[in-house]
Amino acid sequence: MFFKSGKKNGFEGGGLVLFENVEEAMSGERALKAEGVENRLVAPPPELRKGCDLALEINLVEKPAVERMLRSRQAHFIDILPMKGDAELLEVVQVTDFGDAVMVKAGNMKLTFDKSSGVVLNISGGGCPDIPYLHAQMLAKPLDRAPRPKEMGHTLCSLMLDRAYVQSLDIWKNGGR
Amino acid sequence: MLLICGTAPRKDLPLTEGDAILQGDTLRIGPAAVPCTQGTASLVSAACKTLEFLGQSPPRALLVGDDGSGKGSRLLYEHLIAHLPRLAPQVVVLHYMLPVMGLMRKVSEAASKAKKRPFLIADAAAMYAAKAAGIAREFDLFTPDLSELAFLADPQATHPAYVSRHLFESDSSRIPELVAAAYANGSAARTLVVKGATDHIAQDGRIVDRLAEPNLPALEAIGGTGDTISGMVGALVSAGFDAVTAACVAVRANRTAGLYAGATPATRIWQVIEALPRVFADHLDEWSRQAGTRNIERSAS
Repeated sequence: MFFKSGKKNGFEGGGLVLFENVEEAMSGERALKAEGVENRLVAPPPELRKGCDLALEINLVEKPAVERMLRSRQAHFIDILPMKGDAELLEVVQVTDFGDAVMVKAGNMKLTFDKSSGVVLNISGGGCPDIPYLHAQMLAKPLDRAPRPKEMGHTLCSLMLDRAYVQSLDIWKNGGR
Repeated sequence: MLLICGTAPRKDLPLTEGDAILQGDTLRIGPAAVPCTQGTASLVSAACKTLEFLGQSPPRALLVGDDGSGKGSRLLYEHLIAHLPRLAPQVVVLHYMLPVMGLMRKVSEAASKAKKRPFLIADAAAMYAAKAAGIAREFDLFTPDLSELAFLADPQATHPAYVSRHLFESDSSRIPELVAAAYANGSAARTLVVKGATDHIAQDGRIVDRLAEPNLPALEAIGGTGDTISGMVGALVSAGFDAVTAACVAVRANRTAGLYAGATPATRIWQVIEALPRVFADHLDEWSRQAGTRNIERSAS
């Protein structure tokens, strides 16, 4: 027995881009279509509505990439929210001190760096395909010269890694404390 | 045949299918060479070492380059939807790929069109997609870490980044409660291997094994130490082990490989994987016997 999607075109993204007015929603749709990002125009549920009564459903996981694309094409939007569940991204950050190294955990992502040199020793956790890519780009580089996950990543995992990165940089600049 | 599907951190790698061979810190699949780093490459590499030790054929890997844009992932989904019934693998591991709910549903449907539905394992974002799409129960085994278990336990969340704070902040003492919630809301596969400071193995809603030794906190920092567990479980199931025994052996082998490799937060995953043959030579028989005994006790209770 299989669950049916219940969506006419089979697209279920779980995320909503909210706009101030209909023109901006149409402009956002054009911008994402031009970038090849799957989306569809929908009416936002009343509890999530901000601005106009037209929104774009996107794959929530691609939130950072969608934000970047919309901004680069000057397509204004109010917010990107999950269609159900907690509307806020996890803010909790946990720190583990290994002596010479520190591991910072944000959501499902962990970044470990050397306390004295700030070199990224390891990145673990996550599951989206930009994480192994970011791992390869950031590994063995000092935090202040490593690419910022938020600027290079596409997914929510990269946003979580970015939180770990920002916190790591702060800890390192304060002498590993 | 064990089929492992995922992405590699290279933009230029086309969809590549072939037997996987691990040479040092490099994984070779046909003409493609992929470094054995965090992600699906680690998973495939651990499966290679496991099957090699058992004298079995190497795993079949289906890898595609994807930097996170999802282009490679979509090719992978489409390929599986079209060809999974023909490939007829015994075990399939789905791993790093952009979570797309509709496409994951179609992959599961394609698996059912095979002569015999394969044993389906999902880890990483393939597990996120299966849970978010509401088809977790169609899978045989998931391998979440603690934060991902909180995601499975949260009926509303579609990605671990949006898990309710009270669930995310759970410590390992609440694992039984989170496991129960994940099964209750239909977000668990039949077997769960929860990776953490204490590994937990659950089947059909019941925790059947726990393991906290050897205690190596550095393993959590090393990118790929969860992937290796999924790779070993897939390999052991394809070699004929039942799911719980495979999971019991894999979590023990992972910790012991970390011990043998002298794991520190700076250790690379290929160094842990390299220790696996020695670990299996020293312990596989003993662990298999212990797991078998536990199985018998479980059946009798």
